[in-house]
Amino acid sequence: MESLSDTKWDVVISGTGLQQSLLALALSRSGKNILHVDPNEYYGEAEAVLSLQEVDEWAARRQSGDGDGVFASAKVTRSDDAESLSPRGYSLALAPQLIHTRSELLSKLVSSKAFRQLEFLAVGSFYIFQPSSTASSSSSSSSTTTTPSLSRIPSTREDVFANTTISVKAKRGLMKFLKFVLDYTSEPQTDVWKPHAGDSLASFLAAEFKLDADLQAYIITLTLSLDGNISTEAGLAAIHRHISSMGVFGPGFAAVYPKWGGLSEIAQVGCRAGAVGGAVYMLGVGIKDVQKASSTAEMPEALDIVLSNDMPIKSKTLVKGLGKPPRESRRLSRLTAIVNSDLPSLFEAVSEGPTPAVAVVAVPAGTRLGDDGSSTEYPIYAMAHSSDTGECPRGQCILYLSTIASPDAPALLEKALSSLLASLAVEGQESPKSLYKVYYEQTGFDTPSVDVDGQSAVFSLLPLDLAFNDAVLDPVRKAWDLVMPNVTDEEAAEYLVFTDREGADAEDELDN
Amino acid sequence: MAEAPKPSSSVKLVLLGEAAVGKSSLVLRFVNNDFQENKEPTIGAAFLTQKCNLPTRTIKFEIWDTAGQERFASLAPMYYRNAQAALVVYDITKPTSLVKARHWVAELQRQASPGIVIALVGNKLDLAGESQGASEEAEGEDGGDARKVSTEEAQSYAEEESLLFFETSAKTGHNVTEVFTAIANAIPETSLKSARGPGAAGNANRAGDEQRVNLSGPRDAGAKDGCAC
Repeated sequence: MESLSDTKWDVVISGTGLQQSLLALALSRSGKNILHVDPNEYYGEAEAVLSLQEVDEWAARRQSGDGDGVFASAKVTRSDDAESLSPRGYSLALAPQLIHTRSELLSKLVSSKAFRQLEFLAVGSFYIFQPSSTASSSSSSSSTTTTPSLSRIPSTREDVFANTTISVKAKRGLMKFLKFVLDYTSEPQTDVWKPHAGDSLASFLAAEFKLDADLQAYIITLTLSLDGNISTEAGLAAIHRHISSMGVFGPGFAAVYPKWGGLSEIAQVGCRAGAVGGAVYMLGVGIKDVQKASSTAEMPEALDIVLSNDMPIKSKTLVKGLGKPPRESRRLSRLTAIVNSDLPSLFEAVSEGPTPAVAVVAVPAGTRLGDDGSSTEYPIYAMAHSSDTGECPRGQCILYLSTIASPDAPALLEKALSSLLASLAVEGQESPKSLYKVYYEQTGFDTPSVDVDGQSAVFSLLPLDLAFNDAVLDPVRKAWDLVMPNVTDEEAAEYLVFTDREGADAEDELDN
Repeated sequence: MAEAPKPSSSVKLVLLGEAAVGKSSLVLRFVNNDFQENKEPTIGAAFLTQKCNLPTRTIKFEIWDTAGQERFASLAPMYYRNAQAALVVYDITKPTSLVKARHWVAELQRQASPGIVIALVGNKLDLAGESQGASEEAEGEDGGDARKVSTEEAQSYAEEESLLFFETSAKTGHNVTEVFTAIANAIPETSLKSARGPGAAGNANRAGDEQRVNLSGPRDAGAKDGCAC
């Protein structure tokens, strides 16, 4: 077998994050010589899923405020019952994202046939957390304290009709808005919102559609805006994405989540496709040094690369991820908790749709959490994943909470978690509790990009969005262009369009 | 057929073992009932699927062949993650391949999903002198006994580690289907959650059977009908 150093590589890909892995998928039929390495011992980089044992080790190395540059301030908290958890029974996603059914990512997974090795689960309802409130009743002098609760956001026309907590007048405004947003890029709708494009969506909803604070919170939640202060322009785009994704692959859901850990699973399928195509994979190996090589007739433009195991490599091109982001990048605080209940009420199927495996709960900005009266400056989102995701054993579920990083964020996330669990308590039963928690902060970019310099391309970090951002796909295409220079228009049109490999298309054939 | 379709589930199966023990040949025999003498080493990796019909259910194997990349051991973690079954193959004429197989079994027991079904398979039985029963004639030119790993040694190891155990010949097809059927039978019902295909409907009330979202359907048509507003 030819040694790595003797091979003339067409591309060395460093890192197995989603973008590099999609590139590996895109190049899997190209016949190019591909060496794909990752300094980690696991696939997926920032999109990875880890077993509990791996989380423990991972967190231990990222306790400081700087961490590894992307993840920092990590801390694991185990309950007394955590000892009984089987570490390999869990796959915790470091940065889970849901994927809207209209996402270009799904189209690419279908056209490349990679989807056959993935299992997609429905993302079900979106909920708003309602804190406990002390209301004095007008008919008597006694005051009653309500327990915290969740209200489901109606996101379809039928839902809105059926809802009993929204007044008829408010329903009218909401319906008007949903109709407006479906075709918001056409006239005359554009005349209505363009002048307010940069204003906050909340103020636009109040002014144009007379939506009250509750309904504004519903709409803002559907945008999954991290700071809750999304602009009218970005907000309408996000709502349009949500509404138009509703029902695409079945009734009752607008987004999907790949089983076994979301984007990590897609990254792994991309790498497998690369391996099937002949790429060589090495884990635990990174890149130590890159120099422009002296020009040879065979490789006029080449790079001399030294791997972290000191092995010298010659490659035409190099594609890698950005190791450390600039300091001013956005930071998200995350708290992931394993819960000792399957919280069935969160995962009820709506209408005829499939049983959802993911639910979204939002604690809107300004919600009072806990007894000390402190309230949230930014929204807190909790993504609940049932055991159907394969991320935990049955009878449990995982809550992924996140909010914009601040000194108060760790405490607020803890409060949100306990309030959320209290709101999900079933009467007469003990309140669900967390068995294992991991807190960390993650840095990311708002806009994904790729920096192509000579024969190298460097991907920026993925955005910290809670839903997959299609802009992540453009840098992959640009990196593909670097590795595949001088392609014909025909070849370019076949980007990520593949036929099934022999033996892999049994599904359709054998069923008939 | 008018019979009600049986429930159908996918099982991810990984193949592990030293190079040239016949991993790909076993799969080829199982999937295509075919054997290629002097098969080229698998490049990279391969992905194949095959159904196995049991009396009460259909198991669809999604088979990942790790191929020549064991030299970096880098593909293995990706393969055996979430795998419900593993076929660890050695060559009965090559004792070092059993050592390597033991290494893979230990690795699986340490790293793979709890409850993974592991089958230890000694391949190339056709090279053993004591043919495999009267129904199959040993081929004249292979007449001598090249066996170097005794059935007893491998079997007692398999029993110690609670592995399924078979000796096979991908060349003659001996025991190949039996291995996969035994694995299919050994997969606990509870781990078969992702039923799909027509059989899933019959089990609608069992949790988890109706959750898979089908992306290969007519996306745009569905969107028109199902659109919310």
